[in-house]
Amino acid sequence: MFYKLALKNARKSMKDYTIFFLTVAFGVCLFYMFNSLDAQTAMMQLNKSKYSMMQQLTKIISYISVFVAVILGFLIIYANRFLIKRRKKELGLYMTLGMERGKISRLLNLEMFLIALLALAAGLVAGVFLSQGLSVLTAKMFQTNLTSFRFVFSAGACRKTLLYFGIMFLIVLIFNAASVSRLKLIDLLTAGKKNETLKIRKLWISVVGFIAAVVCLVTAYVLIIQNGMMSLDWKFKSSIILGIAGTFLFFFSLSGFLLRSVQSNKRVYYKGLNMFILRQFNSKINTTFVSISIICLMLLITISTLSSGIGTASAIAQNINGLTPYDVSLSRYAKDTGSLQNTDMAEKLKSDGVDLSKYASDYVETNYYTLGVKFANLPFTEKEIADINQNDKMLIKDFKNSHINAITLSNCNHLAKMQGKKELVLKGNQFAIVGTIAKMEAPMNRFLQNGLTLSINWKKFQPVEKQVISMGLVVGDSSTDYAVLPDDAVKGCPVVTQVLCMNYKHGVTDSTFIKLLDSIYSKDAKGKTTPAYDSQVTKQQIIDESAGISITSSYVAIYVSLVFLIAGAAILALQQLSESSDNAERYSLLRKLGTDEKMLSHALFTQIGLYFLLPLLLAIVHSIVGISVVNHAIAYVGHYDITQSSVLTVLIFAVVYGGYFLATYFGSKGILRQKAENT
Amino acid sequence: MQKILSVEHLEKYYGNKGNVTKAVDDVSFSLDKGEFIAIMGASGSGKTTLLNCISTIDTATAGHILINGQDITSLNSKKLARFRRDELGFIFQDFSLLDTLTAFENIALALSINNTPAGEIDDKVKGVAHQLMIDDILEKYPYQMSGGQKQRVAAARAIVTNPSLILADEPTGALDSKSARMLLESFEFLNKNLSATILMVTHDSFTASYCQRVLFLKDGKIFNEIDRGSDSRKQLFGRIIEVLSLLGGDNANVL
Repeated sequence: MFYKLALKNARKSMKDYTIFFLTVAFGVCLFYMFNSLDAQTAMMQLNKSKYSMMQQLTKIISYISVFVAVILGFLIIYANRFLIKRRKKELGLYMTLGMERGKISRLLNLEMFLIALLALAAGLVAGVFLSQGLSVLTAKMFQTNLTSFRFVFSAGACRKTLLYFGIMFLIVLIFNAASVSRLKLIDLLTAGKKNETLKIRKLWISVVGFIAAVVCLVTAYVLIIQNGMMSLDWKFKSSIILGIAGTFLFFFSLSGFLLRSVQSNKRVYYKGLNMFILRQFNSKINTTFVSISIICLMLLITISTLSSGIGTASAIAQNINGLTPYDVSLSRYAKDTGSLQNTDMAEKLKSDGVDLSKYASDYVETNYYTLGVKFANLPFTEKEIADINQNDKMLIKDFKNSHINAITLSNCNHLAKMQGKKELVLKGNQFAIVGTIAKMEAPMNRFLQNGLTLSINWKKFQPVEKQVISMGLVVGDSSTDYAVLPDDAVKGCPVVTQVLCMNYKHGVTDSTFIKLLDSIYSKDAKGKTTPAYDSQVTKQQIIDESAGISITSSYVAIYVSLVFLIAGAAILALQQLSESSDNAERYSLLRKLGTDEKMLSHALFTQIGLYFLLPLLLAIVHSIVGISVVNHAIAYVGHYDITQSSVLTVLIFAVVYGGYFLATYFGSKGILRQKAENT
Repeated sequence: MQKILSVEHLEKYYGNKGNVTKAVDDVSFSLDKGEFIAIMGASGSGKTTLLNCISTIDTATAGHILINGQDITSLNSKKLARFRRDELGFIFQDFSLLDTLTAFENIALALSINNTPAGEIDDKVKGVAHQLMIDDILEKYPYQMSGGQKQRVAAARAIVTNPSLILADEPTGALDSKSARMLLESFEFLNKNLSATILMVTHDSFTASYCQRVLFLKDGKIFNEIDRGSDSRKQLFGRIIEVLSLLGGDNANVL
């Protein structure tokens, strides 16, 4: 009998459980998908660096998963409280019939267990299928081929999901028992009749609150823009505090302010059901402004992590071209401060058994001469100095401290040819500056325009062009700019670095060439010889590394932001649904007064829409400021196009947030209709 | 006299073939413009069902109801909503005011639903509020008012759209005797001065004694009808009591 009751209740209140079910299933699905990344890599052809990248990512994901589990746990507790609230009358009936509290909480738990089991199963099934798609995406981002596509089921991820959600449900059970034991019969029975105390605030409180909110928010924006989100100084902290306070104040005063301002326009206020909608909104936001504010902040986190995470990924991907002008760079560095002994690296390699002509389609050895001067006087405008953040400070300091290194014109032109770029032409007393660092471009151009001259061996050189020539010289290098001088000008200058840059012949890859080098120069190789170079960087390594960072940043962003998005949307949905039963009476009264269905639907749509839209709107304003600051910070990794990531963010929002909105709207409509049929 | 309401052979059955309950059984009557009529009867006599049929909240099984010459039994649901909002005014036992709106806004809502231009709303609400002597509570919320005040606000809401017919379901049911008297005097005022047509359902003889005509229902049929004629209210009250004693049953307690 007892189980039958639970089963019947679960089936009967399936509609109430819809949001709960959806949210748990969604959470489980995400949880499984990202935790099964490890197993998915099994079917990918990954080299060592990619593999270690994946290991790193799995580790990060598993840490985040704990955090995600906590958030989902709170969400489930909240959802459950809503369900108890919704069924107060029914529980009161059980109590008057003499059912003990223990039995009631067992009944509730049994119901929840049934639903949770279903949701868990549904989520896992969806997760297993969607994770196949995720592995295809991962392979694509790594630009590797799937060795053979097979259906992967990760038992480990499945176990982990079951364990985490099992613990969550256990905690919820305890909360359930606690909340049932606190229920009072008299409250349960009179729940429907209880008059809600309406808090009507004075006009001036709303106005003052609203002005204070706007002041707080604007100050927070200004502070965060000044701070640049790069250091945790007082500006950053006070901006966060002011932002949060401003958000709360905003929603605290908004409904009153909105009401008053619309009220003053009688034509709008008395149009259709506008008056009713606004009053509905006003009566509830007074009690729910806290949760609305929290949802707004959650949405802010969602929007900003999503778009900046994906933004970082695409920034790295776009920056890669400047970093990978050739297939390989082998470098030798001068020990101490002396000049590097000029040796022919190609000869040394040949004598060690590596004949470059077999592997390279083209190669060139470049000497880097130090000119004994620094970029110390690089002119920055005041605005640029004001915009400098902590990270840039390091970059600029290093940059200013670095000696100006020069290469010869003939070398430079050979390198340009290898990249397929235009050759430089210099007259006897001219020089050029080449480099790829975006942040340094403007000050360097100004430096050149201000009449920068170089004097080497008592000879003065003028810039051939008043701007930096964009060209990468070494694979993976983005630390400084270089000077290009006529071949004979650098005679006698000490050589600090020697770099051999080469492009592979067709058919040669890292796995043939670098493997060969490693086998010769590795520590335990037979007949150990001193290496011909100090470091090697290949195009493939840079691409792998940046793909790894891209995957990590975008996956972490998507994971975290989706969880926040689901949590926020679910709370809103539950709140609206729990109000629908209160609203049902008001709506049925409107129906009795002769309001047609279209008008009623419109009112309901507007009312729920306001709840969903307002936190979103403020979050968007917040994140426009936030993202523009983050953008600035990312710009130093590379330029990035905001449209792509914005479009993706909007798409994800439309699907998840919009889905919850529609589920809420139709759910509420169902509750209202049900009530109407009952009366 | 213009006929506002005419009910012709109205029948409303509940239940299925084997077990039919005739809630309203072949009832016919009519109401002229400016009349104030009460329908009385014991509980279960079918008076609320009759009112629900007239107010288009429920549908009749057979028969016709004509309001202002329009047969409402043949209207579809969309037209019904429009008809309800244009032709009828409602007053319920439990006041049915929206707790989120002030008295003023509750009255104005009826106009808003009727798509009355915003400019006219203010004057109309204030005018009707003045007539019902609720000027000073217009800015109050329902929970700040007494029951009598609430019901007068509800009456104002019912009359403000100038409907052909006002339907009141046990309007004094939840009021103390003083508030009830004030409300009924308001009804009388609306009826006499604004020539509002009011149909009221009640089981209270005192309430019914304010009307010009009283219909008695028993087991879904019209049992008796009293016309006030030139009698005073007290005399009418006496006659109502007489009929009720004839009706017998559970109405004995009112004696």
